[in-house]
Amino acid sequence: MDQVGSLLDRPKFYRNIDGVAELGGGVMCLGCALLLWLPADSVWHRISIFAFAGLVLVIHYGTKAIKAHITYPRTGFVEYRRRYRWLTAIIAGALAALVPVGLVIASRRHWDITTPASLIGLVFAAAYAYQIARPVRWKWVVVWAMTLGSLVIAFLPADVLRALANDSWVTHPVRTRLVGTILLSLMIYGTMLLISGGISLWLYVRHTQAPAQEGQ
Amino acid sequence: MNRQIRTIADLDRVIHEPGRLMIVALLFAVERSDFLYLQHETGINKGTLSSHLSRLEEAGYIEVTKTYRGKVPQTLLRLTGAGRKAFEQYRRKLKEAL
Repeated sequence: MDQVGSLLDRPKFYRNIDGVAELGGGVMCLGCALLLWLPADSVWHRISIFAFAGLVLVIHYGTKAIKAHITYPRTGFVEYRRRYRWLTAIIAGALAALVPVGLVIASRRHWDITTPASLIGLVFAAAYAYQIARPVRWKWVVVWAMTLGSLVIAFLPADVLRALANDSWVTHPVRTRLVGTILLSLMIYGTMLLISGGISLWLYVRHTQAPAQEGQ
Repeated sequence: MNRQIRTIADLDRVIHEPGRLMIVALLFAVERSDFLYLQHETGINKGTLSSHLSRLEEAGYIEVTKTYRGKVPQTLLRLTGAGRKAFEQYRRKLKEAL
């Protein structure tokens, strides 16, 4: 029965067989870090909403292009079920609503949530371990690196974190140290995801080959 | 004990064959996939995979659509409602029997 269960899990892991999910996550994290880092008087900050939309489009179409030109011809096409579309939308909406609530909390300067915020990285590492690292042994190195990164950020001196986010447009309503923590976390996770995704894609291309002609 | 043996004897023979069980389990988890994906995940050769798919199609468990991806022919496979029900029933019976 367990073998049947593991077969049912295989299509889930196939989503990142080429590392594209990680590459997309990495680009998103680094893009968000860049948008967060922008000074208030920067031209890019004024058009940041369009820059963010552009980033989402690049990730969406970039992922599709890699899948269509590299993955599907080599190891096949999969269309996933959309059974929980509404539930996913509700959860995503609830999480998105929590962001402004978090910012309101953060703007009350007598509440310092910097250390708990940096430890959210541990949740990120756990989610990565469950969704991506389970079937690939070497990716556990990434999980441990993420965990270590979260702990290091939580105990970094406040001056270092403030220096990172000194010019950021977000620091008007929110503590500079908190912005620095989020910025550094996004940069570290983004870089790790890009490296891990890049290695996965390289290994995938190296070890797979498109058949002369598709089956049947 | 007799009941357990009877449950095992009642298992759907079409699905119970290991190759077809792999195919049905993989298709159960997705909306649809192509022939190449099943070949990659199961490690079964083209001829054997084709014959398993024909058997499943005859039983009404899968739907086969022939199409093209650019200029390359592509065979898309989807588990039918009957196929989903049969697989769920198979899993339930197997749990009872073990």
